[in-house]
Amino acid sequence: MITFSINGQEVGGEEGWTVLDVARWHGIEIPTLCHHEAMEPFGACRLCAVEVDDGRRTRVVISCMYPIREGIKVQTETPRVANVRRWIAQLLLDESPQAPNIQELAKSFGVTPSRFKKTGVESACHLCGLCIRACQEVVGVQALTFGNRGVLKEVTSPYHRRSQDCIRCGTCLYVCPTGAMEQIFPLVSSE
Amino acid sequence: MKTESKIGVFLCECGGKISGRIDLQEVRELTRYEPWAHFETSPYPCLAPGLETIRKQVQDKGLDRIMVAGCSSRIMKKRFTNGLAAVGIQRHQIEMVNLKDHVALVHEAGPQELARKAAALISGGLASLRLLEPYEPVSLPFEGPALILGGGVSGFAAARELARHGLESVVFSKALEAERVLEELHWTFPGCRIFCGDLGEFLREVFTSPKIKIMPDQPIDYIVGGVGDYHVGLRQPDNTITEVNGAAIIVALDREFAPPEIAHIGGGERVLDLLDLEEQLVEGEFKPGKVLFWVNSPQHGKDAQELATMAAWRDSLLLAREHPQVQPTVLYPANIALPLAGADLVEARAHGIGLMSYAPEVHPVVQSGYLSFVSPADNLEHEVEWDTLVVPGVPGDPGAKAQELLRWLPIYPENGGRLQKSHIKFWPDQVPDESLFFTGSAGGLCDLNDVLQQGKNAARGVLRLREKALEGKLVSPVVVHVDKDLCEGCGLCTEICPCGGVEHVKPGSGPVPREVDNHLCSGGGTCAATCPYEAVKILNNTAQQLEARLKAMMARMQENDILGFVCGWGGLASAEQAAIKGVAYPSGIYLVPVNCLGSIDPFILSMAFLNGVKGIMLAGCTPKHSCHYHFGVDHCWYRVNAMKKLLSLAGLERRRISIGYVEVNEPNSFARMVESHMESLGKLPPLPQDEKSKAKLWAIHATLHRPRVRWVLGTSLRRPAEKEFPGSQFNAVEADETMLDVLKEEFLASRILKALSDQPLNPPGIARLMDEPVKNITPLLPDMANEGRIALQGWEGGYPVYAVGKA
Repeated sequence: MITFSINGQEVGGEEGWTVLDVARWHGIEIPTLCHHEAMEPFGACRLCAVEVDDGRRTRVVISCMYPIREGIKVQTETPRVANVRRWIAQLLLDESPQAPNIQELAKSFGVTPSRFKKTGVESACHLCGLCIRACQEVVGVQALTFGNRGVLKEVTSPYHRRSQDCIRCGTCLYVCPTGAMEQIFPLVSSE
Repeated sequence: MKTESKIGVFLCECGGKISGRIDLQEVRELTRYEPWAHFETSPYPCLAPGLETIRKQVQDKGLDRIMVAGCSSRIMKKRFTNGLAAVGIQRHQIEMVNLKDHVALVHEAGPQELARKAAALISGGLASLRLLEPYEPVSLPFEGPALILGGGVSGFAAARELARHGLESVVFSKALEAERVLEELHWTFPGCRIFCGDLGEFLREVFTSPKIKIMPDQPIDYIVGGVGDYHVGLRQPDNTITEVNGAAIIVALDREFAPPEIAHIGGGERVLDLLDLEEQLVEGEFKPGKVLFWVNSPQHGKDAQELATMAAWRDSLLLAREHPQVQPTVLYPANIALPLAGADLVEARAHGIGLMSYAPEVHPVVQSGYLSFVSPADNLEHEVEWDTLVVPGVPGDPGAKAQELLRWLPIYPENGGRLQKSHIKFWPDQVPDESLFFTGSAGGLCDLNDVLQQGKNAARGVLRLREKALEGKLVSPVVVHVDKDLCEGCGLCTEICPCGGVEHVKPGSGPVPREVDNHLCSGGGTCAATCPYEAVKILNNTAQQLEARLKAMMARMQENDILGFVCGWGGLASAEQAAIKGVAYPSGIYLVPVNCLGSIDPFILSMAFLNGVKGIMLAGCTPKHSCHYHFGVDHCWYRVNAMKKLLSLAGLERRRISIGYVEVNEPNSFARMVESHMESLGKLPPLPQDEKSKAKLWAIHATLHRPRVRWVLGTSLRRPAEKEFPGSQFNAVEADETMLDVLKEEFLASRILKALSDQPLNPPGIARLMDEPVKNITPLLPDMANEGRIALQGWEGGYPVYAVGKA
């Protein structure tokens, strides 16, 4: 049993649990985007940032991948954390201005579209990888993958061809947080 | 096991997503008398702390079934299965009710109202869980050789791979020595003579291996049995049958190349097809001069043309190597990519082989000694000289052997005559290991190299099966039981099974009970729902479980609520996506997920009406296009259709039941479907509950249990296509009326039974009770008495008196 504190509240957990697990279990809300309970944490969106004091120093870490340790003090609502999350919300909004979820998120942080305008944004996908992980971890096939690199990175099927592995279960559509999969699905799914 | 079941219910708040919309305290209150052993509400049962809590309760209270009421089973079940495996809870022991997507996020009603709906879904799930039966995986033995049928070249590759790994095989082949295979190679693989050297060595290994038995190819009379134990009957020339047994089957089928039509070109011996050319190559003599390979036949598609180009290239290379006085040129259409690598082009240059493309829009013209074509490079018409003109052949249909095999194995011709194994797209954990292997060019255009590789892969599959069997792990996730006492051996299940899972029986063996090969079964359940005698049961996915679930749900539904069956693919995915997208629909529909709509037994529908449901909606995948179980949704159509007919015979509205089709990515269509059906039902009163109506509904239910009706439904098979009707019917109206007649008669008989169920009656008495003219009833009574459904008790005032039961 590991004991530590979140926002001053004494909590406990077992080896291998993450800060996010324990916080949510105790009803402490931490915003997430690329996290889904059915899949392993991925740490793509960084929205779940919290401040952790391990006795030596204080750092901003992502709670979805931070394993709990004895005696750490976690703060979820400090100005530092709020600043990190606001910037992430800002960038997400600029990346996918069309997605309703992101618009809502941006609103909750009070951010508006900034000078970092991405041109030619058609889909609202911001590469959180949920669909790809769902396809591999939940469904157990590999019909989706990341294609290209850098600014051209995209969600696609292997070799940009309609995947024969796809079983048309719609799991990717279900987990997509922005609705971008609706545009991608007809292009990648099997016939 | 029923009484022993200890069910733990874990309600999920989903961090407020569920608890904010549904009054979970009320849900607990409403379900307090349900048969659970533990009940708990937690913020997130799926998080690590939540799983730990469930594990603890399983150990402390000895829970053997778990219900998680919260999230989508499709997404979260794996997490719970993995998380609870440590305490001995298996996949089938976990039931998930989706409160979030089926209740909380899609309805606008208040928390109390939604709590009632949630409680109904939960008690339905509990009722189904109580009927769970233990699943003990049975591992199959795997003894005996692999049987390689069909006579394709890939069979030899499979046999060699098996022999190298110490597994015996029997190859059925037309050619009994290696030389013969080589001589006939070009009939199936034109342009592959160039590989004869290597292939000859490979074939000699096959024909001399002690592990490989080459048997002459005989007509196949039957293939029965299943994985691990197949029996193949071969008809010998003297008309006796020899049986060969094996543990696995590899089907190696190639398609023969049909000679192209070259008569209209003329030219006598100067114009050849590829087969003629290769015959000459076998003989080893060839006229010197310019040889032009003209890749024609655009009607066969790009793949065929690429293959033909490849064949032409290989033959020209062979010619150039062996007959230096011959100058070959390949003329191919410009709309295909030249399927040659850089090294090939270098070789072409070294041997002086010309490679030219022609614009396919302008058809080339053959002249004596010349052929003119338009070059895509400069749009000019060019001429190429020839002394011999060769036109490659076209891929033909799979041979006669294929027809013999198709009758027995789940291999079907697809568009363009291509043969395909029954390929069902499922979650990997829903299907067992691949256990039937199909290789060869009959499955798709490919050249010799591909085919040899396919054979090798098939052999590896067989070896994997053997390995698994040795470890005792050759088990199947689906278990189908056929009740030997109920089964009459009619074979309807074999006919309709899309996956080849229900075994065939030897010709002439009469009506014998069927066995199911679970390794080919996809668990669709259409066979169980079709069986006229209700003898087929899919373990832990039975009609009885569904019945219990619906009864428990309906006990908590209100008179205007309806049932919505959704199939696990199009229907369920769309319904759940509606929640994600925030598309709301009326809360009066209670969703019941099933594998496939085809698995819904017709009596489930009538049972629901008998229990007073106002209406039923079914949502499945689009017929023929995307049903994951081939024709499951089409089978369901017939049951819905019969239900409609029976409703109208009973004087009720046909539109109380309707079926609709959605794809996985159509949440809005799903919501519209629900709205439209609910609106149409809104104008109807609830189902009448008076005695007479109840008697009619009982009669509908009894009718759908009748083997004769189920037989007619089963043989009608599918939603009729244009100009394609079941049985010997030749038009839509006649086909429909035949079915209506059967339903009418059986419905009336069921009503007579109902009328007689309380007391013995004479015909006028029955007629009075049924509100029918006596003349409609009297013709049926003697028949029913003959069948033993009713008995003549005596005579009274000149009338016979009948009672239920046998005389």
